[in-house]
Amino acid sequence: MAKYYDIDDIITEEEIVSVIFQKPASGVGIDPSSETDFIETGSKVELPFWLAHELQLRQAVSVHVPPCFNQKTRLEIQADSASVDLRSRCPFFYEFGCKIAPIVSDRTIGFLLLSAFKSRYKEILTKAHTTAFAAGSKFWTILTKEEISLYEAAQAAMVSFKKWRRGGPRFQIASILARKRKSTD
Amino acid sequence: MYGRKACELVKEFASVGKGQLTQYNSDLFEQVVAECSQHHLELQSLIRKMQEEGLDVQTARNADHYGALIHHLSLVRNKRCLMAYVNNRAEIIRSLLWKIGSVLPKEIEEKFSHTEEEYFNKYSGELKKYMSKMELDLTVDMVPPKDPYIKVRVLDDIGDGIVLSDKTANFARHSIHFLKRTDAEQFISRGLMEELTG
Repeated sequence: MAKYYDIDDIITEEEIVSVIFQKPASGVGIDPSSETDFIETGSKVELPFWLAHELQLRQAVSVHVPPCFNQKTRLEIQADSASVDLRSRCPFFYEFGCKIAPIVSDRTIGFLLLSAFKSRYKEILTKAHTTAFAAGSKFWTILTKEEISLYEAAQAAMVSFKKWRRGGPRFQIASILARKRKSTD
Repeated sequence: MYGRKACELVKEFASVGKGQLTQYNSDLFEQVVAECSQHHLELQSLIRKMQEEGLDVQTARNADHYGALIHHLSLVRNKRCLMAYVNNRAEIIRSLLWKIGSVLPKEIEEKFSHTEEEYFNKYSGELKKYMSKMELDLTVDMVPPKDPYIKVRVLDDIGDGIVLSDKTANFARHSIHFLKRTDAEQFISRGLMEELTG
């Protein structure tokens, strides 16, 4: 439970997966298509990952591969990985992939994640060191959360390297206040 | 869907940049707590039903068991979201003391809940107590200075009632002073002065 308090981990586990119930369950209102609060064996329900995962461990449901790892996405990643919009598919594409891979029957997800990350990583680092994209530009909108923090880390490293070379004031306003003050100026 | 509100709470926390605080959402927090109690009630009623049917709750795997399991898991999930919300906020609140000092700007203090305010004040009190016992100021810059004095410019009207360790001065806006580093630090981190170099 090392990530118990991890905000990103919690949000990742909220991703929806569709499951088929292998066992009936009563007294729960998680199936919107059902009029009663009883779930029959074989009904298809969309559940958040945290619930689907625990139920799958107890053999109560079988989990389908989520749409963000479908054939269409694979083909797009093979064609030109750097310009695929992964963010709209799932903002935590890699983390979610790592969580879902062991519980679905598809054995190729691991490879898909690795090849997508490798080819996109190169592109992100090159862009981080050469151009400054304003927040909200098109380039940003297709990156996953992980890739954005990589991009920001690369830029921050560059900035502090330049600062170290140039020298300058050691003391600065606390970063939490700095942004606000600028907006009021 | 179960656990949706709890996740909204967490997402709201994540929606601002790292190290920033959002307004404490007591309304949503209470709603999630209420959802937990609801899960607890339904869990109990399912277990009771199984007991009335004469089943062994530990081993029976009928529909009621899986219903109860889903309620249990939702409750645990909600708890995790609430704990993460409070814990991460507390972490930010502690870091504020180290980064800004014990006097916070109003716009940040407004975002605290009542208990968080108390927490901040107590934490700040404990730190002060510890530092005075050790006779060591832990909040100053960690890198030894080349010169104990630095040149600063005042950015805001901070009045003239401030007594520094070695002198008093009129800190009018835009005036430039030569101060002890340890005196100037807290004003710089609060954004009231800036360091001048070269």
